[in-house]
Formats: sequence, C-alpha cells, structure tokens
Amino acid sequence: MKKPRDLKPDTLSLHAGQRPDKEHGARATPIYQTSSFVFKDTETAAGIFNVERTGHVYSRITNPTNAVLEERISALEGAVGSIATSSGQAALHLAIATIVDSGQHIVASNCLYGGSHNLLEYTLPRFGIETSFVDFRDLDIVKDNIKSNTRLIFGETLGNPGLDVMDIKQVSDLAHENQIPLLIDSTFTTPHLMKPIEHGADLVFHSATKFLSGHGVVIGGLLVDSGNFMWDQNTNFPQLSKPYRGFHDMIFTEEFGPAAFISRARREGARDFGACMSPHTAFLILQGIETLGLRMDRHIKTTRKIVSFLNQHVAVESVSYPELESHPDYKLAQKILPKGSGAVFTFELKGGKKAGQAFIENLNIFSHLANVGDSKSLVIHPSSTTHHRMDTIALKKAGISEGTVRLSIGLEDIEDLQEDLESGLKAATKVN
Amino acid sequence: MHVFSGPSGLKGDKNPIIFVHGTGMDHTVWTLFTRYFLRHGRDVISIDLPGHGKSNGPLLSSIESLSASLTKYLDSRNVDKFSIVGHSMGSLIALETAASQTDRVNSLVMIGTAFPMAVSEALLNLAKENDPKAIDILTFMSFSTDARIGSNKNPGMWMTEGTRRLMQRSSKNVIFTDLLACSNFVDGLTKAKKIKAKTLLILGENDYLTPRHKAKDLIENFQSVSVKEIKGSGHSLMVENPNLVLDYLVEVL
Repeated sequence: MKKPRDLKPDTLSLHAGQRPDKEHGARATPIYQTSSFVFKDTETAAGIFNVERTGHVYSRITNPTNAVLEERISALEGAVGSIATSSGQAALHLAIATIVDSGQHIVASNCLYGGSHNLLEYTLPRFGIETSFVDFRDLDIVKDNIKSNTRLIFGETLGNPGLDVMDIKQVSDLAHENQIPLLIDSTFTTPHLMKPIEHGADLVFHSATKFLSGHGVVIGGLLVDSGNFMWDQNTNFPQLSKPYRGFHDMIFTEEFGPAAFISRARREGARDFGACMSPHTAFLILQGIETLGLRMDRHIKTTRKIVSFLNQHVAVESVSYPELESHPDYKLAQKILPKGSGAVFTFELKGGKKAGQAFIENLNIFSHLANVGDSKSLVIHPSSTTHHRMDTIALKKAGISEGTVRLSIGLEDIEDLQEDLESGLKAATKVN
Repeated sequence: MHVFSGPSGLKGDKNPIIFVHGTGMDHTVWTLFTRYFLRHGRDVISIDLPGHGKSNGPLLSSIESLSASLTKYLDSRNVDKFSIVGHSMGSLIALETAASQTDRVNSLVMIGTAFPMAVSEALLNLAKENDPKAIDILTFMSFSTDARIGSNKNPGMWMTEGTRRLMQRSSKNVIFTDLLACSNFVDGLTKAKKIKAKTLLILGENDYLTPRHKAKDLIENFQSVSVKEIKGSGHSLMVENPNLVLDYLVEVL
C-alpha cells in the first residue's frame, strides 16, 4: 500500500494554517489587529476561558493572524504546535521558564549566539538556574556535565559564529537516555535546510527575525513543540505532570498528551510573561516564509561562491564554513545538511583586528550591523559586538579571535558582492 | 483501566458520560468536551482502552471484548445508568455497550462511524508489521483535504501532527489490534435494532475513513436516532470542528 503524499514544504510555506477567509474570501492572511475578541454570549465566554471551546480571548494569549504563523512553522517543522513570541530571545526564555525551575540546571553548547549566552550565563543564575557550557562535539563531556537536576540540554543547529554543526541525533540520544528534553535553536538553518525534530530534537525555536522573515523589518520568535517528549515518564517535570494551581489544577500531560508542553507554555508563559508577537509582525513574517525555499536556495548558492572566492584570496587567513573540508564538521555537514550549511560564516583576515576594522569600514553593499539572515548582505566583527561580553578564553572556546569577521550573505547579485568584498580586502591588505 | 474524570473525580451523577476513543488514540481526544461537562457539574469517565494511553494491556482484539472490559470497569465503579460517546472504533464499542446493556444506557453518540467498518487487507498488513506507514495512512485519511492545509480552530496547533503523534505513542501492535477489531465486528445492524437509548450520529461530509454513506444501514436500524452532518469535516471531527461537536453533544447529553 502506497504511503499518501503529504504536502511538500514549499506548498506548506505558502498555505499551511490559512484557507481563504470565509466572510470576504481574502486570499492573503488578514491582519487581526485587535487586542481582544467579542464573545457570542456569556456561556461561550466561559467555555473559551475554560479551554472547552476553541476561540480567541486576548491577543497576548492567541490571535488569528499569529495562529496562522504558528501553524505554518509547526507544519514546516513537523510539530504538534507552536507559539509566536516577541523575539527569538522571548522564545528561548519561554522554553526554559516552562520546564526549568529555580535550583535546576541546563547543559548548553559553548558556541551559542551571544544573546542566548547572556541569558544563560548572566541572567538566569539570578533566578537560580545554572548552566554548564560544554563542547557538544565531545559527548563524554556532555555526559559528565549532566546532573540529577539537569532539566534541559540546549544547542544550535549551527553554532554561532564558528558554525559548529551539532550532531543532534547523538546529543538527543544522550539526552533521552537521561530523560532530558533537547532544545534546538534552528535560526541559522530554518526548516528548509534541516528539521531538527526529525533528528531527535524535542523543542525547537527560531529567531523569526532572520531567514524566516528575510526582510529584516520585524523582531519575532517562534517556539515549536515536537510533541515527542514523554514529560510524565518521571517526576522531573511537575509543571506538566502535576496539577497546576494556576489553571484549576489542570494536569497538562493528562489533558493534552503530546501537546502538554506547548499548552502549558501558552496557558502560563504567554499569559504571565506576556512576550507576545504583534499580529502585524506575524503577517510580515508570513510574507517572508512564503518565499523561504526560493530565498534559502539563493542564499546557499551565493554563499558557496563567496566562500570559494574568499578561501582563495591572499588577504584571507582562513574561512570557516562547514562545506569546506578544512572545517572540523565537514563530514557531519555533508550528512545532515545536504541542502547547504547556511548563509552565515566567518573568516580570518591576515592582520587581525585592524585589518578587520579596515575591511568593514570599506564595504558599501554589506551593511555593518548586528543581525543575520537578511536578504541584504551583512557584516560584523563578533569580538567587539555580539560576543563582546565574553572573555578571551570563552571567545576561544567559541572559535572567535580578534580578527574574525562574520558575513551573512544576502540575495544581491554575486558580482556586486564580490566587488564589494574585494574593495574591503584591498583596504585590509593596506593595513598590513 | 486508566480514566480521566477531572481533578475532583466522580461526584455521584446519576447519568455520567462515558467517552471512548478510537484506534491508537487515548482519552486526550476528549479534553475539550470533558472540560465542558465537568464545569456543568456532570461526571465524566474518559477511558484509555486496555493497552492504550496510560492503561495497561493486554490488547483486546474484538469490539465485544473491549466493550466487556469497559462494562466490567463501570460495574467496579458502581456506575448504573450512563450515556456513552464513542469516536470511530470507540463508536462501535459504544454501540456494542448500548446493545448489551440496553437498560443502562440513556444516550448513545457515535461520531465518525460506519457499519461495517471494514479495513483493507493492505492497511491491516502494514499495521501487523508495525510499519510506520500504517500511521501515516491513517493520519492522512483522518482529515479532510481542507484540514490537511490547516487553519485549526484550536490556535497554533497543527492538526495532522497532533493525531500522528498520538498514534506514534501507541505500543507495538495497538494499531493492528484496533483495526482488526473494527474489521471483524459483525451484527452491527442487529445490535442497533436492540438499542433503546436515544441515539445521535455525528458524521463528517468529507470523512474518508468512515464515509457518511456507510452509516446509512446503521441509521435505518436504530429505534430512535438523529443525525448531524458537519459540512466539510473529515473523520477527525473533534479536531476539525470541536465547537460544533460540543454543541451537538450538549443537545443530546
């Protein structure tokens, strides 16, 4: 018997979560720019509040435009449900706050995005949550750092900025042996290049500001629940497996099964922390996702050419990109990222910091700013910006030196990008 | 048998509502509905059939034995009269229970149902091998073409994956045993004739697993029956149209 054919990713990118509006026939997703929703009658109101009827109450909790985006990313990732948040950072915080309590512990990759590192290293300890940062390439070290109070393991599909490729399957097997969920930041790859859930991730989040949007005009995040983790296999996650006083003693695993996590995140985290997404932002992110496949293929095509160009340039010391044989994760990238290893990479200029500064200051098309994943090409100097709070040892562990430059390749014509880079490299060479 | 009856448990309702899930599912498919009836002071008993959800095995391979295990449980809880709601395979268990316990059942609701509920040899064979394709096929067939695109009434949730994940949580042989039980169930029409309880069938216009026309003979054999058809809905009516299903349940329960 033939397996039925589910809709393919590019079709889902355009359609998942939205059918033409029944009242007016609007083909595009309408923007429900409203804080709240009128109830049909008092009984219906009580029913929606009590989660016995579906519907919307207040846009901090749910909103019809946001719901389309949440369904769309769920469809693309192969997940049971998602929550749109005000930023990627808010999505990470929501994931952690839903299942990790004071006095508990996280094991995280040592090559995280600087913002994630800040939250885990400096802020969460104020709330009694400690994190051990380890090299995910060494499974024994990951294992050694798992404690009896570890409640989450967290890494990125592609580490920032060294592009360490995470062996999600390997880390997920270890996490699951220890009955711990695995959270993956999939911002750099998007579901077009890799679906972490297929490799064993339990939770995924995105900074939707980046490639999912592509246009760089909004800040937004998405927290995605695979529905795979068995939260009630032990007593480690009472937030989900024990009565919750904040919602009529609801036991989320008992009432929502595979959707326990995302239900609690919405009923508690979205309600109480309030880091919700504006419906207008959700609409703009949806416009980006519609062309995700097309854009990502173009990002990858241009990135490969630029990597090759820089790799052969006399002013360049080295290029770090997982598709280069010199990259420590080359083989892994070939295996789990066959469609491409993203459009962000770093390289080392001969001449260190001064050369790096001269290079950046002489670029015209590349924009010097703290973002990645825009349709416009971007450049930054990590050690003085995104990772400036890290000391030398931490920087080294994350694969960053003073001469490291990070590029995010956009959708411009390759000839123009190459010419721009050539001009920056010329300036960098003069410093030497 | 694991059951969900809400945080306070049973309170002595003279007409508790029994909810019976379908193939490879568990009691969580009834969450919205049980929450409504609990808030309105009713007792609910939403079961995990043997070997499903949090209930231990052994798996039972006939609708009759599944119904008998449910009746045994209700007897053990001193439940005398009750109403019963079932979806898909659960609707056959509800039918069998209403036929074997004619004086105990006040109302019978069959959602996404048909008789016979024959399952193709090809699907049975895949399920017998515990081939994941069986779950993929069932998931695909469980939804209308519209629902496969989404637009869930439950905000932020992706319908097909939620259903797939529930089935994936099933232990080995659960799907096969359930499908076999559906396929082997006979005498449905004779049993329908015996039922005294007022009966409601809720059917989906675009149900590909139990097409609405296959409920025709069943409908003709009940003593007291009404039928509600939900426009556009597939087999997973409680996921695709939860509010409408609840409205219909409230009318009869």
